[in-house]
Amino acid sequence: MISSPLKRPYTSVINWGTILGVLGAFTFFIGLALLLPIVIAFIYDEDAWKGFAISAGIAMFAGGVLYSAFGQKGEVQLRDGFILVTVTWIFLSSFGALPYYLEGTLPTYTDAFFETISGLTTTGATILGGTTFEGIQNPDIDQMPKSILFWRSLTHWLGGMGFIVLSIAILPLLGTGGMQLFSAESSLSGSDKITPRFQETAKYLWFFYLGLTVLHYFTLWVHPSMDWFDALNHAFSTLATGGFSTHNDSVGGFGSVYIDVVITLFMFLAGVNFVLYFRLIRGEHKMVFNNPELKFYTLFTLLFIALISATLWLQSGYNIGDALRYGSFQTLAILTTTGYGTDDYMLWAPLPLVLLAVLFFTGACTGSTSGGIKMVRWLIIVRDIFLELKQRVHPNAVLPLRIGELIIKPAQVRTILAFLLFYIFIFLAGSAVMAMFGFDLVSSFGASIACLGNIGPAFGAFGPVENYAEVPVVGKWILSFMMLLGRLELFTVLILFTRVFWKK
Amino acid sequence: MKITIIGAGEIGQYLAGMLATEKKDVTLLDRDAESLNNVSSRYDLLTVCGSATSPKSLLKAGVRDADLVIAATDVDEVNILASMMSKRLGAKKTIARVRNPEYTESDAPVTPSELGIDIIIQPEMSTANEVLQLVKRADATDVIELANGQIQLIGLKIEKDSEISGETLDSMSSELEFNFRVVAILRGGRTIIPSGTDKVVKNDTIFVIIKPENVDKLVRISGHHNREIKNVMIAGGSPVGENVMKLMSREKRDWQIKLIDSDPERSYRLASENKNVLVLQGEPDDVNLLASEGIMDTDVFISVTDDEESNIVNCLMAKHLGVRKTIALLSKSSLIPLSQTIGLDAAVNTKLSASNEIHRHVLQGKVYSVTGLHGISAELLELEVGTHCRAANKPLYKSTLPFGSIVGAIINENEVEIATGKSVLQSGDRIMVFSVPQSVEKVSGYFQ
Repeated sequence: MISSPLKRPYTSVINWGTILGVLGAFTFFIGLALLLPIVIAFIYDEDAWKGFAISAGIAMFAGGVLYSAFGQKGEVQLRDGFILVTVTWIFLSSFGALPYYLEGTLPTYTDAFFETISGLTTTGATILGGTTFEGIQNPDIDQMPKSILFWRSLTHWLGGMGFIVLSIAILPLLGTGGMQLFSAESSLSGSDKITPRFQETAKYLWFFYLGLTVLHYFTLWVHPSMDWFDALNHAFSTLATGGFSTHNDSVGGFGSVYIDVVITLFMFLAGVNFVLYFRLIRGEHKMVFNNPELKFYTLFTLLFIALISATLWLQSGYNIGDALRYGSFQTLAILTTTGYGTDDYMLWAPLPLVLLAVLFFTGACTGSTSGGIKMVRWLIIVRDIFLELKQRVHPNAVLPLRIGELIIKPAQVRTILAFLLFYIFIFLAGSAVMAMFGFDLVSSFGASIACLGNIGPAFGAFGPVENYAEVPVVGKWILSFMMLLGRLELFTVLILFTRVFWKK
Repeated sequence: MKITIIGAGEIGQYLAGMLATEKKDVTLLDRDAESLNNVSSRYDLLTVCGSATSPKSLLKAGVRDADLVIAATDVDEVNILASMMSKRLGAKKTIARVRNPEYTESDAPVTPSELGIDIIIQPEMSTANEVLQLVKRADATDVIELANGQIQLIGLKIEKDSEISGETLDSMSSELEFNFRVVAILRGGRTIIPSGTDKVVKNDTIFVIIKPENVDKLVRISGHHNREIKNVMIAGGSPVGENVMKLMSREKRDWQIKLIDSDPERSYRLASENKNVLVLQGEPDDVNLLASEGIMDTDVFISVTDDEESNIVNCLMAKHLGVRKTIALLSKSSLIPLSQTIGLDAAVNTKLSASNEIHRHVLQGKVYSVTGLHGISAELLELEVGTHCRAANKPLYKSTLPFGSIVGAIINENEVEIATGKSVLQSGDRIMVFSVPQSVEKVSGYFQ
């Protein structure tokens, strides 16, 4: 595996052999993940294990063939990384969709794929319980086999911190090229590494992810209305900021203040950069509490909890306790792009609803499991606006953009502005597509941002008590693509559609 | 006294020349034969051509039995290494010029003494410090802190509406309720060491030794309106400019600091490193830029670019636009006496700062320090009164001091007294004596 770049001639900018070999290993790994729900099937004595066994078999076979045919040829280069990450996520969703389809839980493969990619990208948009555009009735969440529900939550958990980051952490598979994959999949970059080797960094990230999941499991499990199965699935879903629940009524169905509060808290924690947990454990408290993004995230969260709760109390006629309970839960559910529901916000007064709509465009911290535009980008954009104004007064002033002690170079600001504009452009394009299928303005806008931002529930026809079943087949594929775009932060995927990428 | 100077850069050349003139045995080491030739043709010293970090060259330059080695190249690391090696080879005392303040901070992992350095000098930093003192005391032409800040030597111009204009020093000291000692008067480019019967007239610059708490009163009676400093503009992001800016922001006063630099990369770096300073990228002599950035409201304008002619022009321009005080960095010390005449309020010089620092450590015996003053041909000596001193144990007015010298202050056991005619010297006291250069030797002998 360790090969000197000097010895190996650079014949091509895209090394298909390397890509297919590594892809084979990842596919085999997908197969292993598909074996896990079989345990649940046996516990609950369900027939669904067959579907999982077949799916796992196919994935492992395909992966095995690819890997043995291409093996480990060399290091993953820059462009290989983009292809590999995108294709791995598509493979992951395609194989992950098989159990739903093979078991006959979901009648169409389109719906199975939609549900899987929605899980993996931690979107949490579902087609369960609805009637499709073509008139097929999908089963209700509560009627599903437990093993399928478990797989649904597991897709969240695997996608949350990143399937490739997990593979890197567990398998000593990749050389230095793994860094390409790491930064292409997660919102962290090389400079966020907390250990000299990225494999160690990946391990630590997954370690804290697993640790918080276990902690959350126990905090839920102690409540009488949650059995171990519900607790496990919700722990997966919360930490991944996914949003799938094991019940049709989502978290609201438990009707418990305790559960609401605990999940609110853990949604907040899942929205924090996991690198900071590592630093906290290592005793770098000052660095953690002075982290500008964390400060901004905390203040922003508190501000919106206050605003939404107050407006719920004043305008929607909630009593103060309920306003705080539902206000803070919904704030974090949308802000961290989780998408759980305890309350149908479509019934709220206009002002709290509009405030909530703002949160569809924020997302939590970099390096967290949340999707969306993310706090640090907004922080930088807001600072940039202030500097732009200051520059008008002092045309000659040199004004470096400062976030805490960090200087953000103009080139980085440009990248962020490009990201934001691209994001808005794709959001608008997605809305137009939804409108083309006949959905109204609010529903179209909602579905587009909820999928691109990996949130899940949206507005109107896609509100918290509705689902995505009635979108026509083409629309579902487009929304699936948007979820993937959002999860991999646009550039990783979109770069494959440029001519310059494929030029030698 | 055998002195080896490493590095014939600006500072090294100046120090070599100065020490050679003071009849020290100076050897100058540098890699560049041309600049060595340049120095040896002007001064009576030995030059050695070789690398500052080569032990052989160091031995050739005589560090083995040098009383003092001064490493003054432009590179910190070279100076540190040269000092370390010189010390090991037998140099008695080493002085290194180190720009990076991290080496001298209290939490430095390696202390200067562990590096074989006895004294670290930072000419750019001391120059910046002088600028800071001048800004803090905006009406003064010079501000030098003495005896750990317990007294100050300040230069002050007598304005035309000053209430002390036309008075003799004797009548001043009897009328005013606070103590100060006028140690020199600069009148029309001539330096006068005054006696009690000398008068102060308008446009004189008086050099006064005074306690800091009385400075405000003195400033007022010399006809200055002690306005507060708010806006400061620094032209040039040179090492001196950078240090000035850092020292000023560390003061945590309500100063609005703006710095102009023409180099885009340097100005970006300075802006990144200094949060509380507004860095402007442009030419410091661009009147439109100065006007749009509020030169009219600027209280102090400091020009510290690398080009001294520009510094003079920038300051004159700023003065013309109504800035109250201008401070220029002059690299040729010969220009400093001119500074007042050509209309600069104050001038600083890196080489002079370096030589002041070195002087403090080179001159041995009973002389503690000598400070060369700007624009005046006189020096301040800090001496200890010896046991056989003729002036001891009697009031000062009864002693006849050497021509052109005056006692400014007396320091005994941590107590500082501003000298008057009635002050009595005790042997063991430290005294501040002001003297014309010709009398320095005589003065040192007189008090021994």
